[in-house]
This record gives sequence, structure tokens and C-alpha cells, in this order.
Amino acid sequence: MDNRKVLVADDEVHIVNVVAMKLRNNGFDVVTADNGAEAYRLCCEEKPDIIITDYQMPQMTGLELIEKVRSNPDLKHIPIIMLTARGFAIEDEQKERLNVAECLSKPFSPKELLGYVESVLQSSAAK
Amino acid sequence: MIKKYYLFPIAVGLLGLIAVLTIPLGGAYWARTMLCILVAAAAGVIAWYLYIENKTLLAQFESLKNDFKAQREKASQSNRETKDMRLQVQLLKRQKRNTEAIIYSISDAVIVTDASDRLLMANEPAGEIFGFKLEQATLKPIDELVTKNELVKLIKSSRSSRVRHVKHELVFESAETPSTYNCTISCIYDDDNEVCGVVVVLHDITREKEISQMKNDFVSHVSHELKTPLASITAYSEMLVDGEANDEKTRNEFYSIIQNQAQRLNRLIEDILNVSRIESGLIKVNKESVSTALIVRDAVQMIKSYAAEKEITVDAQTAIVFDQVNADKDMISQVVINLLSNAVKYTPNGGKITVNSEVDESEGVARVTITDTGVGIPADEISHVFEKFYRVKANNKCAKGTGLGLNLVKQIVEKVHQGRIFVTSEVGKGSSFGFELPLVSAEKVMAK
Repeated sequence: MDNRKVLVADDEVHIVNVVAMKLRNNGFDVVTADNGAEAYRLCCEEKPDIIITDYQMPQMTGLELIEKVRSNPDLKHIPIIMLTARGFAIEDEQKERLNVAECLSKPFSPKELLGYVESVLQSSAAK
Repeated sequence: MIKKYYLFPIAVGLLGLIAVLTIPLGGAYWARTMLCILVAAAAGVIAWYLYIENKTLLAQFESLKNDFKAQREKASQSNRETKDMRLQVQLLKRQKRNTEAIIYSISDAVIVTDASDRLLMANEPAGEIFGFKLEQATLKPIDELVTKNELVKLIKSSRSSRVRHVKHELVFESAETPSTYNCTISCIYDDDNEVCGVVVVLHDITREKEISQMKNDFVSHVSHELKTPLASITAYSEMLVDGEANDEKTRNEFYSIIQNQAQRLNRLIEDILNVSRIESGLIKVNKESVSTALIVRDAVQMIKSYAAEKEITVDAQTAIVFDQVNADKDMISQVVINLLSNAVKYTPNGGKITVNSEVDESEGVARVTITDTGVGIPADEISHVFEKFYRVKANNKCAKGTGLGLNLVKQIVEKVHQGRIFVTSEVGKGSSFGFELPLVSAEKVMAK
């Protein structure tokens, strides 16, 4: 079975690197982007199994990225985890409407993030 | 005692008697006696007549006297009343002038209306907000003067509902920016407890609202900025603890990231504290004679690796001239670093930053200018960029920041060093930020 693919989008290079390393060490394929527009382009090209995105990013915010992904029929099924330093990144209503699986706040534990990625992928596969 | 009005007839009788007795008349004794009786009778009749007449006259006189007294009483009464009224009018006039002075000296807009919703009084700020001239507005219906329907409705409803005080927040849209007012409407009551007017006070809270919004944005930005390096520190620490870094090279890389992020966190906290210290005048300033060119050269060296990450070239032109300024070296270094890191932040990959340090002898200043090929600042926002917590909306997506860096630059240059800051910018082409500091005379430096 192919490795599951994760798209990590964050404009903080150290965050992208640490998340990518944790996931790669645990058998995931990882593609990374440092802005929202690049992340959307990679989504279309790579069709990842799950997206981990920051909220505040140049060119396109995490929220705008999610809106675009959800409005694209080819991508709208992809589960999304939001990882943000903003205390009130999205409202519960938005989270539900945009089908955001988890909204995690920074500082975060890479170990916990890995746990969330696996459980979100499992529940997504079960559907 | 004999009353005065008897005296006259008695006197006439006596005179008659004396005349009869003394006038040398011839004739018989009885004739003289008869004459005496006649004279006495005549005197009696005259006396009686006079008595009666006198009594009537006296009665009339008494009545007239009483009338006169009553009239005089009345006159003095009305005189007193007139005096009282004059005093009251004076008092009322003084009270009116006091009220007007109070209303005119208030910076809030004040409008006073009567029971028919006509303007009784208003001050200049009210005239300015609603665009009416005070001298032409008195007694005009309020709906002709106040163009904001919402406020007119509130005035009328407050008067009819007789509520003593009512407060509302009103937003007045205008051609420029909307203004927000705290509006207090109070009813005036007469002696019968009927509403005879309404007082409206409009307190402009636009600036307070902006500051509150800026503070909220600041808390949001600062927490984001603090959490970002903290997130790296905790994540890389956990990776090290969990043994995810397999080789020495990776471990060293992680240690270095943790150290850099801790320094970044420290710089941010220092920025926040410095702004606060400078504002409160508590910062320790160590001024000495320093060369601006040297400060610029060191700062450029520090920023080069950050610029290289975005393939931005930094070209520094520093004058080899006497450019000593009396300054706190660390603070001016911070100014240059803040301006340079902003230039890198807002310049797209592959751009260029030019740093120019020169001396303007005619002005007696050392001038540092940092020009980038970045995103630029819209004209309507350029005057705000040095305000605390202010962030250019259009450039929010380009880079993160707290909105403190440029404010710190302004405070250090202007407040601590009595220098001057300047900025020019064009959207899509780039910005030019700089500052000037007064030069120290060469003699002074030599003397030291």
C-alpha cells in the first residue's frame, strides 16, 4: 500500500520542517507550502490524503484555502486539520460548515499532531 | 380742648363785639345791644356755616388723604414688585449666560430643544456635526437642522416617552470615515412635571473605538507573534526528547533553531517593553559620540542572512566622512535593524534594498535612508504607519508583525534623540524609510 500523503502549509519554515519530519519519520509522504496559493496549487497536483494548514499565511489565508478546497469537487472530500497560533481562528459554525476535522492551537506537540492525523485519516477512511 | 374750626367764628364774634363796643356810634343803649346781638348772631350763623362746611371739607380731606395713602401704598408695592422683577430678570439673564457659557465651552456637541422640538440652544460642535449656523438656527424645527433621522427620532421619542435619561451609541456615516457617538438624551421638566424640552449631548468616541480595536488587534497579533517562536521551541524540544533527531548534525540543527527562536521571542518582548519604557520615560539612555555609517554597516551585516533567505540583495552606501552623532548606539542600531527587517519582510523574493548613509552639512544632520523594491504603502495609510499597533491592511498578508517596530523607530529617533523620521512610498514599486540625527560638531569630539 502506498504511503499516505500529507500537505503541510505554514509560512513558518521551522514549523513546516518539524511537522514534515515527524510525519516522514512515521511513514507519511509529505508535501509542503509556505503560502496559501502554493498550498492550493499542490492540492490540485498532489491530491493529498489530508491537509494541515496554518491560518495566517501570505497570499491566501488558511481559511481561504479551505473555502477553495471545499468548493472544488475533486478536493472537497480531503480532511483538513488547522494548526494555528490565533486564539480564535475560526468559529464553531465555520468549522462545521467547512468540515474542518480538528483545529489545534500553537504551541503544539508533534506527537499529539501525529495522533490527530492518524485518527482523522481513520475516521475519514471509515466513512 | 377747643377744636381748631371753632376758633374762626369765635374770633369773628369777638371782633364784632369789640367793634360794636368800640365804634363810636350814637344812639340808644338798646340799639347798641341789638346791634351786638345781631353781630353775634351773624357771627354764630357764619360760624355754624363754617363749622358744617369745614366738617364736610375735613371728611373729604380725610377721605382724600386715605385714598392718597392707599395709592401711595399701592405705588410703593408695585415699585417693590418692579424692582423684584428686574432682579429676577437680571438673575435669569445671568443664569442664561452661565448656561450658554457652559454649553459653549463643552467640546461635546450639545443641542437643547423645546416642547415643540424646536432648537433652543446649541453649541459650535453641534453646528459643525450637522452643518447649521447657530445664529440662524434658533427656534427652527429640529428635523430641519439635524440631518440624522435616527437622532431626530430619538429626541422626539424621548420627549413623548418622558424618560429622564437615555443613552445610545450612534454611528454617523459621512463622506470620509464614519464617526461613532455616545448620545445622552435628557428631558427637561417644568413645575407641573411636564416635559418642556430635551437636552442632547453627543460625545465623539470614534478615536476610543479605534484605540480599543487597535488594542484588540495588538493582543491578537502579540499572542500570535509570541506563540509562533514558542511553537518552534516546544516542537523541536519534544523531537529531541523523543529521539526523533537521529544524527548529531540534525540535533545540532534543532539546538540552533531552539536558540534562534528563543532570541526571537526575547526580541519581541524587548520591543514591547521598550515602547512602554520610552513612553513612560523610564528607559536608560547611554548617549555617546558614534558614527552612523558604522552603525549602518553592522546592521546591514546582521540582516544579510535574513535577506539572503529571500534572495534579496542589500546594497549599502556609507559616506566616508565625519558623521558623528550624539546617540545611544544600541538604540540607533535597533532603529536601523527594524527598518531593514521591515524592508526584507515587505520585499518579494529577488528584490533589492539600498541603504544610504550620508551627511547633510547645510542641515547639520546625518541621514540614513533605506529604500526597497517592496509592495509599497497605499497613500491613505502612509501617515499612520508610525502609529503604535497600526498595520497596513493591504500588506497584512505579506508578513506578520505586531505593529510596534515602526512606532519604536519613531520614539527612539524623535523622542530620545530629537531627530526626524520620514517615509515615501508607492504601491507596487517600493518604500523609502529614513531618519536624520543632529550632527555633533568636530570641535566637541576633539575636545573630548
